[in-house]
Amino acid sequence: MKATLRTEDLQKKLTLLQHGVSQRAQLPILLNIYLEVTGGKLLLRSTDLEIGIETTIIVTDPEEGAVTVPAKPFSELVSALSGEVITLDSKEGSIQVLSKKTKSVFQTTVKDEFPRLYLEKGEKVAIIPIERFQKDLGYVVFAASTDTTRVNLSGVLLKPGEATATGKQGTLLVATDGYRLSLKHTSDSGPSSQIETSLLIPARVLREVLALREGTEDISIFVAKEQNQVIFSLGETLVVGRVIDASFPSYEKILPTDVASTIFFDKEEMLKAVRMCSIFARDAANIIKFSLRKDKIIVSSQAASLGENTVEVEASLQGEENEIAFNARYVLDILGNIQDDDIYLEMTGPLNPGVFKIKGDDSFLHLIMPIRVQG
Amino acid sequence: MDNLQKVLWQEVLTDLKSSVTKANFITLFQNTSLESFEEGIATVSAPSMMIIDMLQKRFSEELKEALEKHSGRAVSLLFIPKAPPSNTTQKDGPLFTEERQVKPFIGHLPRVRPDYTFQNFAVSGSNQLAFVSASTIAKNMGQIYNPFFIYGPVGVGKTHLMHAIANDVYQKNPERKIVCLTSEEFTNEVVDAIRTNDTARMKKKFRSSELLLIDDIQFIEGKEKVQEELFHTFNFLIDNGAQICLSSDRPPQEIKRLEARLSSRFAGGLTVDIGAPDLELKTAILGIKALKYGASLPNEVALYLAEQVQDTRSLEGLLLRVITQATTMDVPISLELAKKALGHMIEEKRTHLHADDVIATVCDYYQVKTTQLKGPKRDASLVKARQVCMYLLKTELDITLSEIGNLLGGRDHTTIMYGVEKIHALVENKARIHEDITGITKLLQR
Repeated sequence: MKATLRTEDLQKKLTLLQHGVSQRAQLPILLNIYLEVTGGKLLLRSTDLEIGIETTIIVTDPEEGAVTVPAKPFSELVSALSGEVITLDSKEGSIQVLSKKTKSVFQTTVKDEFPRLYLEKGEKVAIIPIERFQKDLGYVVFAASTDTTRVNLSGVLLKPGEATATGKQGTLLVATDGYRLSLKHTSDSGPSSQIETSLLIPARVLREVLALREGTEDISIFVAKEQNQVIFSLGETLVVGRVIDASFPSYEKILPTDVASTIFFDKEEMLKAVRMCSIFARDAANIIKFSLRKDKIIVSSQAASLGENTVEVEASLQGEENEIAFNARYVLDILGNIQDDDIYLEMTGPLNPGVFKIKGDDSFLHLIMPIRVQG
Repeated sequence: MDNLQKVLWQEVLTDLKSSVTKANFITLFQNTSLESFEEGIATVSAPSMMIIDMLQKRFSEELKEALEKHSGRAVSLLFIPKAPPSNTTQKDGPLFTEERQVKPFIGHLPRVRPDYTFQNFAVSGSNQLAFVSASTIAKNMGQIYNPFFIYGPVGVGKTHLMHAIANDVYQKNPERKIVCLTSEEFTNEVVDAIRTNDTARMKKKFRSSELLLIDDIQFIEGKEKVQEELFHTFNFLIDNGAQICLSSDRPPQEIKRLEARLSSRFAGGLTVDIGAPDLELKTAILGIKALKYGASLPNEVALYLAEQVQDTRSLEGLLLRVITQATTMDVPISLELAKKALGHMIEEKRTHLHADDVIATVCDYYQVKTTQLKGPKRDASLVKARQVCMYLLKTELDITLSEIGNLLGGRDHTTIMYGVEKIHALVENKARIHEDITGITKLLQR
């Protein structure tokens, strides 16, 4: 195979492809990237058998053929190249990388050993504007469990939204790790932006979707039921993953219906306060306490061996004064992952989940289970 | 059958474990299982299509052989993707398992006194314009009078009106972004932001507001950096249709060491002044305050108290004193009680005043010489000052008319009586002289 292409294009795509390469693969082939020149394009693939990433780059002077190259050294080399264009030229058992004054030769592996990422794309279930989808996902994905043994909690539920009074349906995105839960109701913006059936998709796959940057506007979601497979397709790039075949906990019944205290505050100020308090909370199970007062939230933490910290955050309270304690990490996660500035916290008591919401936006909520503390 | 399948698959895996590399086994075979085995067709499941692809390409022969060996018949293979069984013994976490405790509310803004509302603001001639404009602004934020600039002396209700605007807007829509603070707090925020190198956050805080209220703006006099920041915030907010309300003890153009561009902007909207309260207003305010403290205040007592002081804050002080006295003695509030409660305080004040002070102050106020005041000349300006002086000596010090005549260069007591009555009538009619009298009285109280 042979192809000439812009260095910059290859560098960008390789960064993306790296996410699909296993960090500690047992099988040598999985440490490789698959390159194939076909139909005037260079096709690149990587996989760790759990997810797969595929993308293409338009090339000149193509000669068809396919090889696999070691992902890490190849990416490192390409990222160091400074020439405008790169020529890839594979001979028997090796591939030459030519650019300006650089000539490198990599040993290649037989392409047949590299697994196929998918047999067929499957049925298109939704087309969603990418910018909004990524923003909405960002509000949810972080709440999924990273514990891979808890399969049903390691995914994000994509579910057709209920019809509301305004007729908007959209798609519900829900993720939880059993200690917190994020829910975002994406709004409709086209005839097929609502997903057709509920899907539980590994958070890991969606994190890759979050990292995608292409010039196109819409992302398409394909599902192949037979193969238990989901494909996110954006422009020239595909992310392949599996659909989780496990039941998502029934989250509807844990959404609080009443509220005793609502307190409004500025996200940045709260983020600062929680960061400061988490220094002291590190040695104390990461516990930080929120004391809701009429015009402020007192955020405090203490560690027996270190000392204690108190920060006041300006706020305005509706309802009764209240106390609640959280794991600082969860609070940092929610505050760090949303882009809005005006946030409020709703709660009913120290033992019931606190609900973080965005002022003027009823499509989002984030529940955090409090920590039981004395005093 | 299920069990048999499991045993069969276990045997196959054991065989393969020894024949394939460890890496291959862990990556490819670990999460596989035999889903069904009927009529020679073995259905094998693996977690993903990619794994299936690798199994098919590289190990279908090995798998087939091992299955044939252990089942004793010809086998054809079929792969299906299926996730490994999830660990069902694990609970979904406390969010889903812990019981909930079941347990209603009033609005409040930071730094805004919730009791300062339009409803409990007493209105009279001196503050009517300010009141009407403030309530109009609360209804039409950012649309008509922008900025709104209230000025007036201490204790006339500037802060009350400012907070009333904030409370009114907030009650109608708690989602509105309201920032209310004193100019000192504003200064501190600016200084803090500069010190911690975090001006962006401060800017965002102020510039995202829909209603910005700054009390006692005169205190930014001479603070250049603060004025600059305020200038930019000001322009930004006005451009974005946000409402700005400012209060001060004097009109914008009289605030010294204030950049011209700022003072012209301050005056660019509606500027209203609140004058010192007249007797009736003070009486009305006392009524409202008494209601707040849950006391019943007879009109005559209110009138008496209102006569004693000028600004409303001291008024509240007097009222509290009377109420406390009444509560400790467990008697209803009466004029007698009020006199007794305040008697000491008022007497004290009186003794400090001296006739010469009054004369000197009046002269100072009207910019005339004492000799002129006491002299025979009867220019209009001199006469006015003289008569005011007579009036004050009579009302404030309660000196006899003939004595006053002596003090003012040996005038007849009838002249004095005429002067006192004339000023009294003017004051009653709320003419401009009222302001003069209030001003001088205030000077005297210092």
